Amino acid sequence: MSTIPAAGPNASSSLTKPRRKIDAVSIASFIALVVTTFLMLLPLFFMVSTSLKSKKELLKFPPTFLPETWQWSNYKDIFETLNFGQMYANSLIIGILTVVGTLLSSALAAYGFARYRGKGSNLWFMLMLSTMMLPYPAIMIPQFILFSKLNWIDTFLPLIVPAFFGSAYNIFLLRQFFSTLPDELFDAGRIDGCSEFRMWRQIALPLSGPALATVAIFAFIYSWNDLLTPVLYLSSSDKFTLPVGMSSFTSSRFRIPPWHLLMVASVLAMLPIVTLFAIAQKRFVEGIVLTGIK
Amino acid sequence: MKRKRMKKTFALLLATSMLVVLALSGCSGGKSAGDVAPAGDSDTGKSGKSGEQVTITHYTIDSEDRTFIEKLIPDFEAKHPNIKVKVEKAPYEQFDSKLQTLIAGGKSPDVTSHYGYGGFAEYYNKDMLLDMNDIIKEDGFKASDYSIPDDLMKIYTVKDHVYGVPVNMYVTLMLYNKDMFDAANVPYPPSDYEDKSWTFDKMVEDAKKMTHVSDDIAKTQYGVDFTWSERDMRPLYFGVEPYSQDTWTNGGVPSETHFDSPDVMATYNKLFNLILKDKVSPTTEWSKSVAGQNGDAFVTGKLGMTVSGSWSLAGSNDFPFKVGVAAVPAGGNDKVRSVLFVDPLLILKGSKHPKEAFEWIKYLVSDEVQEKSIDLSGGNPPVNTKAAEAYYKHFEGIDPDDVKKVYEGAVKYGFESYNHLITNYSQINDMFINEMQPIDTGHKTVEEVMPTIQKKVMEIIKR
Amino acid sequence: MTHRESRRQTLYMYLFIAPWLIGFLVFALYPILSSLYYSFTDYDIIHPPKYVGLANYQEMFHNDLFWKSVVVTLRYTFISVPIQLLLALGFALLLNQKIPFRGFFRTAMYFPSMVSGVAMSLLWYWIFNPSIGLFNYVLSWFGISGPSWLMSPDYALYALMIMSFWTAGSGMILFLAGLQGVPSSLVEAAKLDGAGRFRIFLNVTLPMISPVLLFQLIMGVIDSFQVFTQAYVMTQGGPNYSTWFYVYNLYTSAFKEYRAGYSSALAWVLLIVVMLFTGLIMKFSNRYVHYEGGGRK
Repeated sequence: MSTIPAAGPNASSSLTKPRRKIDAVSIASFIALVVTTFLMLLPLFFMVSTSLKSKKELLKFPPTFLPETWQWSNYKDIFETLNFGQMYANSLIIGILTVVGTLLSSALAAYGFARYRGKGSNLWFMLMLSTMMLPYPAIMIPQFILFSKLNWIDTFLPLIVPAFFGSAYNIFLLRQFFSTLPDELFDAGRIDGCSEFRMWRQIALPLSGPALATVAIFAFIYSWNDLLTPVLYLSSSDKFTLPVGMSSFTSSRFRIPPWHLLMVASVLAMLPIVTLFAIAQKRFVEGIVLTGIK
Repeated sequence: MKRKRMKKTFALLLATSMLVVLALSGCSGGKSAGDVAPAGDSDTGKSGKSGEQVTITHYTIDSEDRTFIEKLIPDFEAKHPNIKVKVEKAPYEQFDSKLQTLIAGGKSPDVTSHYGYGGFAEYYNKDMLLDMNDIIKEDGFKASDYSIPDDLMKIYTVKDHVYGVPVNMYVTLMLYNKDMFDAANVPYPPSDYEDKSWTFDKMVEDAKKMTHVSDDIAKTQYGVDFTWSERDMRPLYFGVEPYSQDTWTNGGVPSETHFDSPDVMATYNKLFNLILKDKVSPTTEWSKSVAGQNGDAFVTGKLGMTVSGSWSLAGSNDFPFKVGVAAVPAGGNDKVRSVLFVDPLLILKGSKHPKEAFEWIKYLVSDEVQEKSIDLSGGNPPVNTKAAEAYYKHFEGIDPDDVKKVYEGAVKYGFESYNHLITNYSQINDMFINEMQPIDTGHKTVEEVMPTIQKKVMEIIKR
Repeated sequence: MTHRESRRQTLYMYLFIAPWLIGFLVFALYPILSSLYYSFTDYDIIHPPKYVGLANYQEMFHNDLFWKSVVVTLRYTFISVPIQLLLALGFALLLNQKIPFRGFFRTAMYFPSMVSGVAMSLLWYWIFNPSIGLFNYVLSWFGISGPSWLMSPDYALYALMIMSFWTAGSGMILFLAGLQGVPSSLVEAAKLDGAGRFRIFLNVTLPMISPVLLFQLIMGVIDSFQVFTQAYVMTQGGPNYSTWFYVYNLYTSAFKEYRAGYSSALAWVLLIVVMLFTGLIMKFSNRYVHYEGGGRK
């Protein structure tokens, strides 16, 4: 396996010159970044600020930017209003299993589509893409009938098991990445006597760190914020996920929603995703150095 | 080693798929939908054990003012050891889609109400509801024993068949901002419906004194927001009926509508003139921008009066100003001044245990539970006239006497909301909101828009 | 390719795609075929479906809400997809450089994609508020009195497009991941040849990330043809039908009008149209997309 390059500490930067030269373009782009970042972080500011307001203050017009009195007790109240800990745990279990399942199965299938030119591969690939083109409301009812025949209603299974059979989006994504890997690597692997599965495991996967990290993040966030599927398949309160619980705050047509508590929940719900991302984004920095292969 | 594991995985996957294919072959065609119970259902499993225990499902909205019924279950189950109650919840936005999916999937709940976009008439016309006549006969249920007024029972009775038992009754009332009245030196409006001086014109006059329009939106305030019921029902306030009479007797399918008649258009002009000519009411845009996420501009203290459902009382404690309740002013209709929103409990046709479901319904409308529910729900209005007294006293800062007068007047001069009574109502309502939008902004006149609306209403009803 | 080699390729392809293939047969095929069947029926969810042939498909063409939804959706797709792609690529290029606080910037860019929908919609109500919102406040610095955005039939669709730009962060992540695969040796070689930034981008970087670009273009089209949540939560298809998206129309037909048959027909027309778009893009892209791997040459 000597031909496989190790992950290096240095990312390839396609635009900057090796010596860091500060010029007008860099400064302009830095300023653009700061402005955009400000815009992108507005939701965060808004969430945190609202989460600390009192119920009365929420009714003020014009709305206040910062809370008049910082009501930290909101962060305690959320645990009394909702079965928050349980919901958090449920979401975590579903999210983590979804990520594991998606990574495994999608990486396998994507490799099949990317590296082999078998009979019918184009047909299957188009079929796979087409599964994404039918909107969810159209298959909601038959899918429910299917899962209810399996007796999976009110369990986590409909939310987790399908992930272990690959998601079209992530297969397509990984296939694009696997297709960019140079053939020479695999030829070398074959000469070394690697099995096809080993080449997947020891050549393709290690070289696709950034792509796999992306899939992990996307799969987790999708599962973490998904509302429709858990609403449909879960009926016992102790199985509810975070988005389901949070939606109860805005569900009364007759009451003014407790936005402050909703924002507390949103802030707390965000933490695992931000952590996951902060860790995963390093993968992009420690990209793979392919120098010297060709 | 690794290859072995992979083979094992594949074998497992294959086995699973075979099993599923087998399971699926039992349901080819997808025609089994509503009425066939899938074999191996949890209920059948249970009945094997002790006696005749059954589980019924109550499907409702996942919000505090609906899910409080969970707290009543232990008491009910103690009284009815053979019945278990399970509450199935959905967020408001997904209420309809989940209900329909449950029904289509053969997992129909037993008891529910029209808490989503669709109303009773829709459920009735789609044949979703169980005719309760037989159960009522066998049970000997009498509405009077539960202090439910007869005319409320009639709302969900179609052609002498009972399809729903009323459980909550909201009315339309006027809320006013006492601080704004005080500042403008205007006497408070009366809560007595028999006070003949309280008319629509008087309301406009009062509203003028409180309206201040300024370039600074924070300083702008309006006298009144007259959002009486949904748009299509508003002509009724002035005594004009846009739907033909047979609508109320045949399950909500009007044979005719008159939205393009001069009478109806005159009423809409009167209402839009509050915004466009009298300028005492805000545009929808202003209301929405001031209301922001709360959905109601009145709560910000920028409106003198608003016509609203009695559900607004529940939050009044948090309003940043003093609130009063008043009668809806007389608008020229001697019989109708208030809109009633009576929520029924319904048994779905797909219910496997309608009798037990009816026991649960009876429990929910009993005197004691109706009274208890007021506090548990945070202020849901009971239909039970005995429990009503407790409801009037529920709202801190509002005179119970006023609430009582407003409620009694509203019932006397009340008409059930069209949204419960007319078929395909959510489509009609969507269409009204979209088609009337240009009138609100002054881009089109009532006369230009109403013929289109008339045509579209008829199309929707015929669907 | 020899016959044996071709059989070997086919065998391994099926072995590797087996997880998806089984999942497809087990979990997706039945719902998909059912919806195809429903599309030829009159199905109100309560009663069993009744076969009506092509009636649902014929009705569409006489339904003015259908045509409204088509126009709204096409306008949205053609304007927002290219802009989203450009923004995502731009940010990715910027954040692939060695700049201070890079990790922070990346996280910040991606932030709006991580937040739950309700929190975001609350923010948008405030940003687009005609009288006190951020957008019109900024416009007023330039003496422009802004429109009423979500409440205006002329601007609501643009407001939803602007909202979609906030999630360009996910596209950025994908491009960033793609950019890591660009061998620095190629870039260095181009530099030695005296190529400028733009040349390097055009001749080295762009071809190398073209598979990711293709992916994003196709997914962008698929997703924007299916815009639903924004219209459902923010505008309910209004004002005056200006955000009556295709899938919003489809959802309303199914769950407000109880017409699952008609709604399924809408879904299948969508599938065919999007399939055509995807096919066209793929065909066109064959000339430009560069796959390093030989398997697919």
